[in-house]
Amino acid sequence: MSDRLDQLERRIDELRAGVRRAMRARDAVTARALRADLRAAERTWDSLVSSPVQTPGGKRAGATTVRERVHQALDALGAPAQPRLIVAVSEAFFSGGLRSAQLTSIRRDEERSFRSSPYGRPYYLCAALTDRLSPARGLLTLSAWPLERRVVGPLSPRVDFLTCAAAVAQHIQRSAGPSPESLRLVARMGRNIPGGELVELGKDVDPGRVAEMALAELAVHLDRDTRDRAELAARAREQLDDPARLFGAALLSAANVGALGKEGITA
Amino acid sequence: MSLLTSLAKLRALQEGRAQPIATVRHCHLSDRPMVFIPLKLSGEAAAPLAAMFGTDRQAPQLLVVAQPRNRDLRFAFTADLAGLLLPYLESFLADTETVERKNADPYERALDAPQLLLPNRAGVAFTALLGRSTRFRRTDGPYPVPEGVPLLGRWLTYLAERAAYPGSSLTLAVTEELSRHWASGQSALEDANLAALMAWVEGRPSDEAEDPLVWPPAGPATDPGFDSEVLAPAIENGSAERITEALRTQLEPTWRLMWQAADLLRTLPEGASVAQRWELDRGSYSGFATQLAEGGPPQARRDGAVAAASRLSRMERAQASYDVQRAYDDPLIMADHRLSGEAFAGEVVQTEPDNFEGEGRSRKLRPLVVVKTDDPVRLPPGSALGTPQRKGQGAELVEAAGGLVTLKITKGMGRGKTPAPGSVPEVGERVCYTTLTDDFQGAATLPEPEATPWTHGGPPLEYVPNDDDAREAWE
Amino acid sequence: MRRIDALRGTTPPKPHDARAIAALAANPGCARRALMDGAGVDKDAAARHLGFPAPFGQSPFAITRGNQFEALVKSDGCAELLRMLRELLELPIAEVAYHDVENVGAHLRHAHTRALFERAARGEHDAGTLYDHPLLSLDIAGHTAYLEPDVVAFQLEGRFHIVEIKSFAIVDGQADPAAVAAAARQAAVYVLALRTMLEELGHDPLTVSHDVVLVCPENFANRPVAKLVDVRRQLAVLRRQLTRMTTLDRLLEELPEGLTFDLEPGEDGLPLRRAADLADALRGVTARYAPDCLSTCDLCFFCRNEAREEGASDLLGRNVRDELGGVASVEEALGLADGTRAPREGQEEIARLLRGAERLRQDCLA
Repeated sequence: MSDRLDQLERRIDELRAGVRRAMRARDAVTARALRADLRAAERTWDSLVSSPVQTPGGKRAGATTVRERVHQALDALGAPAQPRLIVAVSEAFFSGGLRSAQLTSIRRDEERSFRSSPYGRPYYLCAALTDRLSPARGLLTLSAWPLERRVVGPLSPRVDFLTCAAAVAQHIQRSAGPSPESLRLVARMGRNIPGGELVELGKDVDPGRVAEMALAELAVHLDRDTRDRAELAARAREQLDDPARLFGAALLSAANVGALGKEGITA
Repeated sequence: MSLLTSLAKLRALQEGRAQPIATVRHCHLSDRPMVFIPLKLSGEAAAPLAAMFGTDRQAPQLLVVAQPRNRDLRFAFTADLAGLLLPYLESFLADTETVERKNADPYERALDAPQLLLPNRAGVAFTALLGRSTRFRRTDGPYPVPEGVPLLGRWLTYLAERAAYPGSSLTLAVTEELSRHWASGQSALEDANLAALMAWVEGRPSDEAEDPLVWPPAGPATDPGFDSEVLAPAIENGSAERITEALRTQLEPTWRLMWQAADLLRTLPEGASVAQRWELDRGSYSGFATQLAEGGPPQARRDGAVAAASRLSRMERAQASYDVQRAYDDPLIMADHRLSGEAFAGEVVQTEPDNFEGEGRSRKLRPLVVVKTDDPVRLPPGSALGTPQRKGQGAELVEAAGGLVTLKITKGMGRGKTPAPGSVPEVGERVCYTTLTDDFQGAATLPEPEATPWTHGGPPLEYVPNDDDAREAWE
Repeated sequence: MRRIDALRGTTPPKPHDARAIAALAANPGCARRALMDGAGVDKDAAARHLGFPAPFGQSPFAITRGNQFEALVKSDGCAELLRMLRELLELPIAEVAYHDVENVGAHLRHAHTRALFERAARGEHDAGTLYDHPLLSLDIAGHTAYLEPDVVAFQLEGRFHIVEIKSFAIVDGQADPAAVAAAARQAAVYVLALRTMLEELGHDPLTVSHDVVLVCPENFANRPVAKLVDVRRQLAVLRRQLTRMTTLDRLLEELPEGLTFDLEPGEDGLPLRRAADLADALRGVTARYAPDCLSTCDLCFFCRNEAREEGASDLLGRNVRDELGGVASVEEALGLADGTRAPREGQEEIARLLRGAERLRQDCLA
């Protein structure tokens, strides 16, 4: 067997060198072919040398699906959020076990499901809408929320962050024995709110104080943001059909841009 | 770079072989050096990936972080590294000599000291970062690390700092030492590549040294092609064996080169002042070990104003002293000073050993020596001179004209009415005299740290590592 | 066809990104590079065809790490970034409006960027504070190069700043000087592009600050920290080089008739012309090789090889070249040193020194 291994190792070395040489010469076709051979040889080598590799991480919480866990987290936050924050909240308060990678295609899946049987599910995980009424990159919302909450104006990213921070802090205040993950999360968020400069990572943090600080800054932005959002929501109701209201309009082409938006385009 | 070195580089280019720019070895080489080749994960400041190290060229140790993004595995790696490096670093502490001091208590100095050989300057910088990222760690509290980790961090910090100290040999970057002794036919930038530089010294320069497939980089950065084609798939696959084997292929060629480089340096006879500088290293090593034993705090993140100024002043004096010692030890380095007119060499053509100056009680023995030289002497009469042939001797230039230099010996020829035997060079002897001398003014007068003026930030708070230092996330 | 475009031939011009433009400033004396960049020739492809592929590559780990760090800085409505800007530049609490230019279609992004900055420069109320992914442009020798920085521009009281996010660490207040210098060169490109845009819109270009905000991870944590970096010097070099490139006429006039660097591909995607033929064409334009090219220019191995064939002392680095008082060839310098070559006028001093140095080396190594 060791002869066979030696032989394989030599072959692997040759193939690796070949791939890298091809890559350097930007010869993608050869590189791909060699890489396929290489993977095969490496698999053989692995099977000869080691016991089968365990795939890491079984699912933690039994029955809940990914979409249920995302719903749970978004519901707790009460504002549009990025996958990163959704994962952290799920980890802090619920069963956790979410990975950001699982959230990348979820909006597309939801849209497909909605289009094939509209309102067939009690809720949908859907998009936040930009001032062009197109889906905002990397934000998830719940279909149950009013449109005013699901559209985002210029101030909304900050407003939503503060809303989420306050929600996280209050969630901790309500819970009996807060998890270390939740305390870390609230400390991390609190640090980025004025008055929170003194919040140190890893130190005990007062969630009540973080909620207060978040609400204090929120008061500064809220009026304008509410106005902006109301305006956008009205436009969305006027211009979009049901699927587009949930999942956003396709990006606009040059032709119909002029009609939209107070900014106007000076191209 | 001096003109002599530039000329040597030109010659190297023409002959396809590096040219000597030193006739003796100016660094100490341990009988039992620790060769240490660390690799880091690309894109991270101080995430170790692997290290090949050891004192036995036949038996390198290999440590690998099989999942480099896993913080716990990184600490496990440093813990393993500590387990293997600390015994070596501490093994020189047992055998000591007692050193008497004026106006101070005698102290114990180790008879020998550890020596870390790294491939290049970037390796030293990474060692410093590895030290920085581990020395504040705590073995208890919320993010505990294994026992040896902070201790290793303090040693690595110390050793990396010594690498910047002129003339110290506790930590050597091998490419730097090679370039100090040989001039290659390539630029300084290319000299930082160990394989390329070694190829020049061995007289077979080739572009192969730059091909990462033939010669993987000597670290700490890995070849990007290796990262994407070999390492990333291996990490994805999760097989520790595969990752280990892949990294071994990147380290073994450098391991062999490191020992060959040490062999090459060893072919040069040791310079006369090397032992003296190594003695300072041994003293420094013992001093640092004592600090550790006495429970001193880890090295601060940054020096206070006084500490920084005093460090700078120490370094400047060490540099000046190192430069002079090398010139005294090595005619090829003295040649730089001869070319610039600060030194001259030649044959003694005439002497007047019992020349006297002054009258009565101030009548002094001042032997005269006339040296014939081809060197351009650009020194005014009255210049104080020293000579590598008779260290401790002092002389003064009387006159220089037409290739003949007259000098009088002012120190180091005995107190008698005639010069001590051998203290005045004989006619026909080859001698060299220079204005370079190794007796420098003492340490700069700096205030005590407590008296740091407000312009320099006032007295520093005493450095006490706090919880933040210990907790600083390492992810 | 313009002469400069004829130089590139049939292939479309290679777009310049900020990294490539920043590299222009690295070796301003090189006519070969000025012409190739001016014409938009794909130097990387040329180097490969010549058999001297560029030694550059980026590790996937470094790329991932860079993306992750950038996402962290911008996540949660740029929460980390706002904290740092509030600390560093006293950004008022109310200034949080965020515009992501990438939310518009690709073909509209440049126009959208202009519209946003026009409003901001006019000082319109609620014009916004942070602009993510602005699409800027710069004129490079008559070609418009579009820059898609992963940077944020931000304005405070009518003054604009460029924010550059880099994933190299600042440890105890210190970062790798080479990494900082590269970041400063790149940021200078964005500053210049933004200034140019404002000027075109009829505003004072100097409202774009020469102090850029550099955001890096601090120590060994992921926690970002911001520092101001003054890029005035990099701006001056860049501006000078770009001006030179718009006046390539003099260089073009000196070129032989019909000279071209055309890389027209055949069916296999590889250039049709023979490599030797391309090499000859390149040799028709003088290069100025220096070891620094090894970290900045795609053609470095080709030019180094050429310098070797010519026995140029440039190979050994600028400081050797300076030490030699400008004697350009290895053979000439060695000839002066061993006395087999008589010094030309003006070389007497360096010849005397070289002879002295040679005598001393012989003396010591005998």
